[in-house]
Amino acid sequence: MAAVLPHGALADDAATRPGEHTWVHAIVRWLCITVSLTFIAAVLLAPLATVFAMALAHGLEVYARSFADPDTLAAIRLTLTTALVVVPLNTVFGLAAAWAIGKFEFRGKSMLITLIDLPLAISPVISGMVFVLLFGLHGWFGVWLQEHDISIVFALPGIILATMFVTFPYVARELIPLMQQVGNDEEEAAITLGAGGWMTFFRVTLPKVRWGLVYGMVLCNARAMGEFGAVSVVSGHIRGLTNTMPLHIEILYNEYNFVGAFAVASLLTLLAVLTLVVKTLVERTGYRRR
Amino acid sequence: MSITLDQVTKHYGGAPVVNDVSLDIGDGEFFVLLGPSGSGKSTLLRAIAGLSGVDHGRISLHGRDVTHVAARKRGVGLVFQNYALFRHMTVADNIEFALRVRHMRARARRARREELLRLVALEGMDDRLPAQLSGGQQQRVAVARALAHKPEVLLLDEPFGALDAKIREELRRTIRQVQRELGITTVLVTHDQEEAFAMADRIGIMNQGRLLEVGAPHELYARPATRFVATFLGAANLFLARRTPDGIQVGGKTMGSAERAPGAPEHEVVAVVRPEEVELAAARESLGSRYLGNGVIDEITFTGALERLRVQLDEAVHAPLLAASDADARALQVTRTRQVNRGFEVQQGQTVAVGLRRVHVLPTPISSFTACAPSALRADVLSRQPLLAELVARMKTRVAVRIEPALGHTDAPCEAQGEFFGTTVIAAEGDNVERAEWLLRRGVKDLLVLPEAAAPPQRVLIHWMGEAARSATLAVSASVLRHVPAEAVYLGIFPGRSDSERHSYGMRELLDARSEAQAAHGLEMRTELHFGDVAQELTRRLAEAPAQMLIVGVTELKHFAQGFRALLDGGRWPVLIVQRGAP
Amino acid sequence: MSFRKPSVLPGFGLTLGFTTFFLSAIVLLPLAALVLSAASMHWSDFVRVVSSPRALGSYRLSFGASLLAATINVVFGFIIAWTLVRYEFPGRKIIDALIDMPFALPTAVSGIALTTVFAQNGWIGRYLEPLGVKVAYTWLGVTLALTLISMPFAVRAVQPALQEVQRDLEEAAETLGARRVYVLWRIILPTVLPALLTGFTLAFARAVGEYGSVIFIAGNLPMKTEITPLLIVIHLEEFDYQGAAALGVVMLAISFVILLAINLLQAWGRRRHVQAAH
Repeated sequence: MAAVLPHGALADDAATRPGEHTWVHAIVRWLCITVSLTFIAAVLLAPLATVFAMALAHGLEVYARSFADPDTLAAIRLTLTTALVVVPLNTVFGLAAAWAIGKFEFRGKSMLITLIDLPLAISPVISGMVFVLLFGLHGWFGVWLQEHDISIVFALPGIILATMFVTFPYVARELIPLMQQVGNDEEEAAITLGAGGWMTFFRVTLPKVRWGLVYGMVLCNARAMGEFGAVSVVSGHIRGLTNTMPLHIEILYNEYNFVGAFAVASLLTLLAVLTLVVKTLVERTGYRRR
Repeated sequence: MSITLDQVTKHYGGAPVVNDVSLDIGDGEFFVLLGPSGSGKSTLLRAIAGLSGVDHGRISLHGRDVTHVAARKRGVGLVFQNYALFRHMTVADNIEFALRVRHMRARARRARREELLRLVALEGMDDRLPAQLSGGQQQRVAVARALAHKPEVLLLDEPFGALDAKIREELRRTIRQVQRELGITTVLVTHDQEEAFAMADRIGIMNQGRLLEVGAPHELYARPATRFVATFLGAANLFLARRTPDGIQVGGKTMGSAERAPGAPEHEVVAVVRPEEVELAAARESLGSRYLGNGVIDEITFTGALERLRVQLDEAVHAPLLAASDADARALQVTRTRQVNRGFEVQQGQTVAVGLRRVHVLPTPISSFTACAPSALRADVLSRQPLLAELVARMKTRVAVRIEPALGHTDAPCEAQGEFFGTTVIAAEGDNVERAEWLLRRGVKDLLVLPEAAAPPQRVLIHWMGEAARSATLAVSASVLRHVPAEAVYLGIFPGRSDSERHSYGMRELLDARSEAQAAHGLEMRTELHFGDVAQELTRRLAEAPAQMLIVGVTELKHFAQGFRALLDGGRWPVLIVQRGAP
Repeated sequence: MSFRKPSVLPGFGLTLGFTTFFLSAIVLLPLAALVLSAASMHWSDFVRVVSSPRALGSYRLSFGASLLAATINVVFGFIIAWTLVRYEFPGRKIIDALIDMPFALPTAVSGIALTTVFAQNGWIGRYLEPLGVKVAYTWLGVTLALTLISMPFAVRAVQPALQEVQRDLEEAAETLGARRVYVLWRIILPTVLPALLTGFTLAFARAVGEYGSVIFIAGNLPMKTEITPLLIVIHLEEFDYQGAAALGVVMLAISFVILLAINLLQAWGRRRHVQAAH
């Protein structure tokens, strides 16, 4: 019975405003929507559809068979391994950084935040290159590493390091503002009630930031699995050994094995779609990206 | 007239947010629209400004119909709660905006800007950005900006809402001063009654989309016509009282009210006593006013200039207060000035004599509800019926339970036990006509027949049979519609077929009815003309859409009984029968 | 510790220590290696590498195409953000979610997919071919790829700003007599201008460094369609680490200068508004 204004009442107002040429509004609206949809269709939807169209161009059977290729399987395995190492490490780092930055006041804090964000501003190629400069054959530690028979560049450790560099800020970036925003009151209350540091963290802080954490981890994972430039520089492209999925796509594509290339691409596309779905779901819980 | 609203109605998704508002605001008047949030006052202001269209009705500014004119061509100045200053423009650019749009020369713009800045006491602030000003200063700029193009009407939408108390006071004074100096017609929307009192020439009080009452502040405070206004404008003690040939009786004691109505039959009314009109004394003899009874001081709160008390009235005082909860049913609010306090100091727990200096009777015809059924259980169930409970809550009244074992036994020799007061409610469960008639014959004046599944009405249909019931039906309808956000439709139904002569006669009747509703009861209603059988037409109209209610006035019961069976037994609509002029 | 405010919460030393250690090991130390590698070069070698015609050609393409892509994204980003914020239409929520696709989609996938669509026999390329427009393997393709991967930055920067343009600002302008176009030009655009510049900056920064999506569609002809990141990779593959580091440093430096210029422009814009009143 209550005469409360429904949401969107103001938008409704704009539509019913007196003296406006409604047909002008309709044309502008139609134009805006058409332009937006056309642009998105051309640069986003068409490429996405192509991935699946090309992958299935010769039927489902050929598509399925391209996954039987041992090199492809090795690439999938390597990508999963990398993500499994990188995402947890960066998560732990993100939590530690967010706790230190979000809960305490100290000098040099904004500088620290800038440094954490740094990898986002750097070309992936440069991100990979720095590890070649350090650990490559002609790099700083190259000779020493060779003497001790440790391979980093053109091997799994290099791939993991480069991926870690590139995805370094993702979890921390989500958690730092969130921790600052939720404040210290509850943690301080828990401590004064006699809870220990770990207990306070797991029982009080973590539940408050869990959606931000999920959000950051999902984005971190997407980038880790999909990274091309940085990994390309350090991997050495050894088939079946140091080829991640994106690199394997490149090789197959350059060999004109389009079905194979797009089959692997379709997996990564599905991963991207899944990422977006999780992201949207997390946002629906009320967690918003700033 | 500067602003004329004629039956302005606006819906958002079915529910009316502005419901049939008609209002005239004079030249140079400072008019305040006062109401709780969601009452439709801001929507009404936006409609005047042209930012929101209306579904029905007309808006005129200085005699020009602007209902379909765009905001930018209306020549109004609007000030928003959050200032709405253009953040990327300086104070000067903000103020000159309207002049720039009108291609005024730079020199003329500058002169006008300086004049305006002087008016709002912000000289020399031209080059500041809004972010560099305090909230109060920003709102001054907003006022200056709204006045730049010399609008005919200044509209202020809660302009002080975001400011703290002291700055608010200062800005109020400035705006009032500017308004007087320019003589510009001004409408201010607020939910703060103190603000309304401080600024208004006249106040219009809105609730649930309806404009309930309009008047000068002191008039509305001293003589409210509705419960809502009585309690919204300041604090009020509401008593269920009796209007007797001798005057107004509260708790069985006649209060020396000037508002006596000699000759009128005794009936229940609602009496308003402001907290400052309650007198306390050590003993009955030392009271300067009429004695109501004894009470015990329950609570004393010191608020600076005033002392607020809560007095629990004695069990012996039979003066039911209309209170939000049963716990407060005997609690009387009292305020006393320091001076009075010095004359007679009281302590908590002290027994005092209570007198009432001034009692104001609300003209509203619906005082209270009585749920009437043959058994206690059924009466109790009826009293908790959702729609009834909602009406009771909205009207801030109470529902009593009354058991009439003989109810419905038409031939039962057993008479009703005592008199009926207020509005009697029975459940619609069959034999409605017989039971209604039984009650109406025994002195029930207003009878609500309530189906179990009745929905809150979105439309109230009004009709009366016999001119004697007209005024009372309109009064009851007005009272109901003040508390229910529904639209009112008067159905003029004339027997027989339509022809041009009868048609024009019918139209005249409708116009009469509408103007009486408007003038005497402040009720805005639409009218429809029908020809045919009354009961059939009413039933047909009720069956058209869900969530309707019928208010029907009757004079002679034999008219009522004919053909009303289908109407009363047939549907899920509540029917309120108003019986007047019967022998 | 004098450099921090006291707090009852534990774990400061542990978490800050871990953070700085991890940051240094993964990010700072390798970056230092880059700068030092370039610095260890002889000055004349450095100049020779970074000013070779091939390098200059790659800068032109990388920065030119990135500026163009960022500009396109600001224009379309504004329209898309406006559409998403102001209009209700079927599929709006899906489109809104899809905007982030380039964030989530691996660049190699975008690269091969775009190339396929815009190749001469591709879905869109085949209609452009008769018009004489070649996209794949030209600078146009580079721009297109950069536009795609940097689009979300522009849209997501403008969207909240547009959302926050209070309706009452527009309404105030209207009651003061302004027409809709005037309101858009004088009220809405200036209000979201900082967000547009931010979107431009972010989109540009991302586009300049992009590698994965571009190498497929670019054709990679020296001097013509070779971007700077690719040139770096080529140097690396030839084990010319110093040359690669030099180009990397130049890239970082040019990006930094452009971003600084935009920031200054923004600050200047803010000041200008203050002075305009004089």
